[in-house]
Amino acid sequence: MPSRPYPPSEGADNPLMEQLQRLGPVLWVIPLLVIALFAALTSYYTVQPEEEAVVKRFGRVIAINPPGLHFKLPLGVDRVQFVPTARVLKEEFGFRSGGGDARGQYIKNRTHRDESLMLTGDLKVIDVEWVVQFQIADADKFLHRARQPIQTLRDISEAVMRRVVGNSLGSDVLTEKRVQVATAARLELQDILNSFDLGIQINTIELQDVTPPDLVKPAFNEVNQAEQERERLINEAEKRRNQVIPRAEGQASQIIAEAEAYRAERVNRSRGEAGRFSAILTEYKRAPEITRQRLYLEMIDNVLPKAGPVYIMEEGANSPLPLLNLGQPLGGSTGGK
Amino acid sequence: MNRFSAAIGGFVILLGIGAFVLFSAAYTLDESEQAIVIQFGAPVGDPVTTPGLHFKTPFIQEVRRFDKRLYSWDGDPNQIPTRGEQFISVDTTARWRIADPLLFMQRVRDERGATLRLNDILDSVVRDQISATDLLEIVRSKDWRVSEEDLARAQAVSETDEEILRQRVASGREELTKLILEKARAQMPTLGIELVDIRIKRVDYVESVQQRVFERMIAERQRIAEQFRSEGQGRAAQIDGQTQQLLAQIRSEAQRRAELIRGEADAEATRVYNEAFGADPEFFSFFRSLESYSRSIGSKTTIFLGPDSDYVRYLRKSGLPE
Repeated sequence: MPSRPYPPSEGADNPLMEQLQRLGPVLWVIPLLVIALFAALTSYYTVQPEEEAVVKRFGRVIAINPPGLHFKLPLGVDRVQFVPTARVLKEEFGFRSGGGDARGQYIKNRTHRDESLMLTGDLKVIDVEWVVQFQIADADKFLHRARQPIQTLRDISEAVMRRVVGNSLGSDVLTEKRVQVATAARLELQDILNSFDLGIQINTIELQDVTPPDLVKPAFNEVNQAEQERERLINEAEKRRNQVIPRAEGQASQIIAEAEAYRAERVNRSRGEAGRFSAILTEYKRAPEITRQRLYLEMIDNVLPKAGPVYIMEEGANSPLPLLNLGQPLGGSTGGK
Repeated sequence: MNRFSAAIGGFVILLGIGAFVLFSAAYTLDESEQAIVIQFGAPVGDPVTTPGLHFKTPFIQEVRRFDKRLYSWDGDPNQIPTRGEQFISVDTTARWRIADPLLFMQRVRDERGATLRLNDILDSVVRDQISATDLLEIVRSKDWRVSEEDLARAQAVSETDEEILRQRVASGREELTKLILEKARAQMPTLGIELVDIRIKRVDYVESVQQRVFERMIAERQRIAEQFRSEGQGRAAQIDGQTQQLLAQIRSEAQRRAELIRGEADAEATRVYNEAFGADPEFFSFFRSLESYSRSIGSKTTIFLGPDSDYVRYLRKSGLPE
């Protein structure tokens, strides 16, 4: 237990109380000093480069100050709210990009899908994701015109996007009218926010993924495939044509060339034969008898050795008399002269 | 205690009381606030709307603060049948502000009370208007126009689809919104609320209808895919047919020309022969016959030479002709 006895405290006997009573009047200064220090500490503030400071005295806005060091009345008389007016802010619809880095994760859950599924003018369902980029143009208005300016921006943005998409064809929003849709939505959103005097400036609305609903996507892909198949079938048919036609043209030239060859041959031969005949005829006319006889005998010379059995008929005889038979051995010939 | 410190003590107490009274008399109003001063439960004077430092009678008056800014109201999605009896889920969003703080305080007390009243009023107005409007009028706006090109791009397959696309819009989303705002606004003054804006945030098919719409979209896509495929087959067949036609043309043309050439050749040859042979037809006949014998007679030919044959004559006797 306690090793040394503690001095009993008896009012005026306490040395601390004696000390306090002695200091008496000086003691009043201490809280004043604390207050003064506190006042000094709350009489300045720094505004960051991307911010503006809204200064309110007893709740009323008296100044909006640019970045830098500024002074104010301390002790809660002047209060300061910082608003990032230079920063481009972003609201995402239909998805959220998680993570801090520029290429954050892409998150899309049921709530986000509800944000992005909407009806088109042709009563189809389409999944439109978009991003609104905006800046706070007027810090005072941004703080004091609406309780939830960002929520207002989100609500109106959804309403506007659905109105614009609802007034367009689904196929257009999917493809060529994306930019028009985004522009129309931006103008309309800005108009409405201006009517609320929110101090928000819309920089851009950008459509991100615009797709058919997940369930319908395979059918859309099927259309793309079918379109490619159509092209493939046509290309193949054209390929076949390109294979066949040149070959046929080649064959056609061949047929014609052969005919030309026939003509050349036929005409030349006829000319040759005609020429030969004419030449012989000239000689024949000088000595017809002789020529006739000679030609005849030459023919016989030519013909008989090649011929089969040759029979010479007796006058009034019934059976022929074989003269020559080159096709058979001599001994085998029947009869003889 | 001496006199001096008693004096100081008294002074401090007085100062404290003075500060207390001052703090009870003064109040500040933020830029976003407005207030009503109440004395024994009864409002005193007009609502205070200018921000800054204000004073009231200490202790007996109290200050009720209200927000001056726009409030957001977000309704729950409601399933409502349209005039065409299609069930849709409608989600609305509204902006309102406290226009008459005193009335507001009396009628709905605070934001929670206001939200409950707004839920009732806005839901019923939206329900009334939606169920008296066709779905097309809810989805589309007044400037809905579909050109022929749009129709071609939309790849509408069936005629009913085309009809739906062409259907003009009588009032459209904007008019409907305006009407809802008007009807709802009429009920606001009694609540001390100003309804600034109300909009249809979302219009969706209810789950079961959505399923059917998806099926319809899938069927439509498949029809289009089928169309592409048969178009491809048709074009291919057409090209193949043209190819066959072209082939036949090329071949027959070649044959025609070949025959003509042959014919010319034959004609030319005939002319040449006739010219030559016509000089002495009798000799031609003789000459050509001899030639023909030479060519045509072979080992399979059996020749019978009659007794009066020129050739055999000397075989029989060699005497001079008598």
